[in-house]
Amino acid sequence: MKKIYIKEEYCIGCRLCEIYCQVKHSKSKKIIKAFKTELDMVPMVTVEEIGHHSFAVQCRHCPDAPCVDACISGAMSKNEKSGVVTCDDQKCVGCWSCIMVCPYGVIKRKLGEKKIASKCDLCQDELEPVCVKNCPNEALVLAEEEEKDES
Amino acid sequence: MKADYLIIGNSAAGLSAAESIRLLDSHGSILVLTEENFKNYSKPLITYYLAGKVNLDQMYYRSPAFYAQKNIMLCTDTCIVGMNTEKKEVISAQGRKFSYNKLLIASGGIPVLPPIPVSGGGLLKDEMKKIEGIYTLTTLEDARRLKKYIEKNHIRKAVVLGAGLIGLKAAEACLELGLTIHLIELSDRILAATFDHKASKIMEARIEQKQGRIYTSNTIKQIKASQGTVEKLILADGKQIDTNLLIAAVGVRPHTAFIDAGTIETERGIIVDKHMQTTAEHVYAAGDVASSTDILKKRAENIAIWPLAVMQGRVAGMNMAGKRQEYGGGFFMNAVEIMGIPSISMGLSGPQESKDAEVLTQEDGSSSIYRKVVIEKNRIVGLIMLGHIERAGIYAGLIKNRIDIGNIKENIIREDFGLIQLPADYKKHLVVGEGIEV
Ligand SMILES: Cc1cc2nc3c(=O)[nH]c(=O)nc-3n(C[C@H](O)[C@H](O)[C@H](O)COP(=O)(O)OP(=O)(O)OC[C@H]3O[C@@H](n4cnc5c(N)ncnc54)[C@H](O)[C@@H]3O)c2cc1C
Repeated sequence: MKKIYIKEEYCIGCRLCEIYCQVKHSKSKKIIKAFKTELDMVPMVTVEEIGHHSFAVQCRHCPDAPCVDACISGAMSKNEKSGVVTCDDQKCVGCWSCIMVCPYGVIKRKLGEKKIASKCDLCQDELEPVCVKNCPNEALVLAEEEEKDES
Repeated sequence: MKADYLIIGNSAAGLSAAESIRLLDSHGSILVLTEENFKNYSKPLITYYLAGKVNLDQMYYRSPAFYAQKNIMLCTDTCIVGMNTEKKEVISAQGRKFSYNKLLIASGGIPVLPPIPVSGGGLLKDEMKKIEGIYTLTTLEDARRLKKYIEKNHIRKAVVLGAGLIGLKAAEACLELGLTIHLIELSDRILAATFDHKASKIMEARIEQKQGRIYTSNTIKQIKASQGTVEKLILADGKQIDTNLLIAAVGVRPHTAFIDAGTIETERGIIVDKHMQTTAEHVYAAGDVASSTDILKKRAENIAIWPLAVMQGRVAGMNMAGKRQEYGGGFFMNAVEIMGIPSISMGLSGPQESKDAEVLTQEDGSSSIYRKVVIEKNRIVGLIMLGHIERAGIYAGLIKNRIDIGNIKENIIREDFGLIQLPADYKKHLVVGEGIEV
């Protein structure tokens, strides 16, 4: 089973992951439009940075996901087969319980017409999440679980 | 009827238990009982329904197909009124008996009704059914009846007794329906149990900005009704409010009326051990009805919130299905957006704060942004965030894992506080630890 690993030693804080994520999840899929007109958009991956130290973090799709437990509307769910945690925009009521319990702080508010939670969906329709694919430095890596044990 | 696993309660705790049992035991019979006549719904959404933001189809917490998919039996309209732990059975109001191998009590809470006299008769709790216009708001049926009443009678004004979280959510829903709102609160401020003074002030200002009236340090001394409908309220300080609608939201208490008090002990709810087992063998309890470990107060406490009901239900279910699993305890937390102000409060903040706690705050006088972190012995024990609530969960993680934040105190209240400022070990655990599955 493949997982995304964060390699903070390679991250240079270029924020390309944020940009690709935001464009990918925009309506227009166009970079200028996504950033200049779709103003409720937020990237679902976040780069944290202090000086020369930085890393990108997105939803960890936890085994016992606290956001799923805390969700009062049943919008947040973990797919039993794929393990991917997603938020159903139709069901979300914007109570922010998920934000309250996510220890990684990776769920954001999307403040559009309807206020809803926004989080990484692992780009399920892509071969590889766009943040991983477009990282110039392999600071986000998609790898088999075993590889981690070797490193 | 007999079931391997019998569950009283068809909500957060009960369904979470049923799901976890099914994961471990694919054959055992699971029977869920509820006194209500809905397949299931999300209780916290009833005020959203009242306000018209969510319709009945969106109220489902688990889809109607859930029961068939998981092979879980459900009996609605089945109110349990008694039990016998020796015979391992419970009995419904209709006289039906259900026996079990393992029983979970997940019956939640019932609203508290203060002993207010009603003109021409007894106390509120006895008169409520006879008089129109007085409601509690803890079930979907309550919300449906209330919505109908407001629409049918063109109600323009709502009085809410109790300015806690449920009271405020009820008031907000009424406001959205175009009613004027009046809030009556015994304490000297609204949300006194979960907010500190500053946070309460910000919310009070917002309510007043919406033309809402707030009466603090006050309560209802008498309710006057005429022709079977509520008409006037007389407050403790002598003020009078004319109204045809009163919503009583002073709190809920564990729903334990039917339990076998000889074998099942209670104190602030049904007492459970680490495995969510009650003092009676084969009987478990979880959710709003249970009293379980509060890791901050360091004692058993009834913490009536959704996330803990789900978590406790899961632990109870696992143990019922034979997998020993311990519940690690929890602490109070709540997230809610009221009248456009998102807020999160957790742990020992506000009234619970100890005298020698260290308090860090950040506020923006011009807006409704306010943040406060309460620290005891270098560990975060409480948090309030208003306006800007992003990344609140990082603090919840620090509280839950009792992380020493002595070296990062100056960063803790910063607006850009994130994982990167966390103590090295904890950060390592979060960031370079578990990868994510694809
Ligand atoms: C208006 C409102 C808003 C809320 N908002 C939030 C929020 O935003 N966040 C949050 O964390 N919490 C919130 N809560 C609290 C939250 O709803 C509860 O913590 C949660 O529902 C507890 O789940 P439970 O399964 O323990 O019990 P409940 O949800 O109370 O369910 C009890 C179940 O037991 C059944 N039952 C009870 N007695 C019997 C009986 N004698 N026989 C048969 N069946 C019985 C009931 O029919 C029901 O199915 C809110 C509550 C209310 C009322």
